[in-house]
Amino acid sequence: MSDIAVVGGRAARRGRIGARTQAAGSTIDARRALQLALASIWLIDGVLQYQPFMYSKAFAQMLAGTADGNPSVIARPITWDATLVGHHLALLNTLFATIQLLLGLGIAFRPTVRLALAASVAWSLGVWWFGEGLGGVLNGAASPLNGAPGAVILYALLAVLLWPSDRGTAAPFTAARAVGVHVARALWLVLWLSLAWFALTPANRAPQAMSGMISDMESGQPGWLAAIDRGAASLVAGQGLATSIVLAVALIVIAAGVYLPPPAAKAALVLAIVLALVIWVVAEGFGMILAGGATDPNSAPLLVLLALAYWPIRTVTAPNGTERKAS
Amino acid sequence: MVPVWILDIFAALMLLVAAVSAARLVAARRQRTGPATADVDVAHLLMSIAMAGTLTAALSTLPDTAWEVIFGLTTAWFAWRVWRDASVNGVRALAAGHCAPHLVHSSAMLYMFLAAAAPAGGSGMGGMGGAAGTTMPTLEHPTVAFAFALVLAGYAVWDLDQLSGRRYSLASAAVSLVPSGVPAMAAAESAAAFSGPPPEGDLARLEASTAGEAVPGAASGSGHTLPAVLLSPGTTVGCRIVMGVMMAFMLAIMI
Repeated sequence: MSDIAVVGGRAARRGRIGARTQAAGSTIDARRALQLALASIWLIDGVLQYQPFMYSKAFAQMLAGTADGNPSVIARPITWDATLVGHHLALLNTLFATIQLLLGLGIAFRPTVRLALAASVAWSLGVWWFGEGLGGVLNGAASPLNGAPGAVILYALLAVLLWPSDRGTAAPFTAARAVGVHVARALWLVLWLSLAWFALTPANRAPQAMSGMISDMESGQPGWLAAIDRGAASLVAGQGLATSIVLAVALIVIAAGVYLPPPAAKAALVLAIVLALVIWVVAEGFGMILAGGATDPNSAPLLVLLALAYWPIRTVTAPNGTERKAS
Repeated sequence: MVPVWILDIFAALMLLVAAVSAARLVAARRQRTGPATADVDVAHLLMSIAMAGTLTAALSTLPDTAWEVIFGLTTAWFAWRVWRDASVNGVRALAAGHCAPHLVHSSAMLYMFLAAAAPAGGSGMGGMGGAAGTTMPTLEHPTVAFAFALVLAGYAVWDLDQLSGRRYSLASAAVSLVPSGVPAMAAAESAAAFSGPPPEGDLARLEASTAGEAVPGAASGSGHTLPAVLLSPGTTVGCRIVMGVMMAFMLAIMI
């Protein structure tokens, strides 16, 4: 994918018709591609929110459950919100689903991309508190395996990093274009180090912690996925501490990766993508979507998008001596 | 259970798409712009009627078996068009071609009817028609449903980006290429039907037409009159976006 679209030339004019109609279309750069991927995930979130489960009392109970263990200043508004949702389930859940659908469509529609990204940040922060109880960060329930620090906060982070503006200087990766290299790297470092920290908390390093978390995903899943979960759970059964340490080391390597030279950074980003995908399949069970009760695909697809946003951009020297970026 | 009024609203949206698709077919026939996108319009018409019937019992028309046959045929038709597109334009056609989204839509519809038609856990709730007002049927092989939902969402988002990036114009793209004997191409939608590189002049006209620019030699009807807007690539893609989002919705609520 190129950050600068070059269309033209005699060879192109003699190209095939399919290629021609493509060239006549609107080209997209790496950041726009990532924005569209983010829009797709919002769209999926929206349609998932319309599922029958979300129109049952179980949804309100799920919201109320996120208050458990949180400080009262955080928990009380969650309880109030859950009660309100329980009383006006059909109306409010339809509103929630429609908002998420519109966020996805708004990011995809070029004239409204800024508005939708800004709205998605506000919405994500609200849902992080009222819908996810701050992702379990304050009650000790957060784990890299269960979507910490809350999948929805990653939407906000991506919206900021993919904001359609440039700081003027050539950015070494897409995420740095809007906020600058230092801020982008610091955000990456904080995110992945926090995940490493969560991996080492007492609740997550207990002998059966990881195994229990994975086996909890089995319920309602298709046979093949349940079999994977069973296998993974038995693999780490009783190995909580060792698994936590290995996971934390991998997360620290990933956190430091963006400060390394491009080849090493790419290796760290590949590790991040692979780890996120493994967590998505094994520990998050595709966000429990296949079991029919998911509000979103969970954190792993967003971590993959984040990793792609930090992928080093190749510098190409043009014949006139100027530099341009191409990933 | 999803409230019936939501399903009714979405069913009404599907009827609107059906009406637009039917109007496009009529307008294309009156303007004699050729059958280049007729297959797409017919597919949209059938899919929207089928989806409306699935969402609201009162709008149910044909038995499930009939829909399975219909969507089996449309899937085969668009598979053939994608194959022909790929043989001309390479594998790029699979990702960026104009027929690939229609193939995905057709196969998603086929899957929905086939997967829901099977008996669901002994509850006697098989079949799609008339699901509204009762519990929606669940789909077998939910992994396939999820995969379809992802691809449909991706195509809808891509289409919306391209629509807003003015790849697809709301002016009619009907092109008269008769003097050079090049097959008529009503819009970017029909590009895949073409099997070889046209002369450069015609190519330029096609490209300008696709971009919604004034084209010398373009068929009458270009511009922003109602028939022109109706026949524009933008309208086709708009219908496709609505269909894609609605299909993703239906797959999600039936997982």
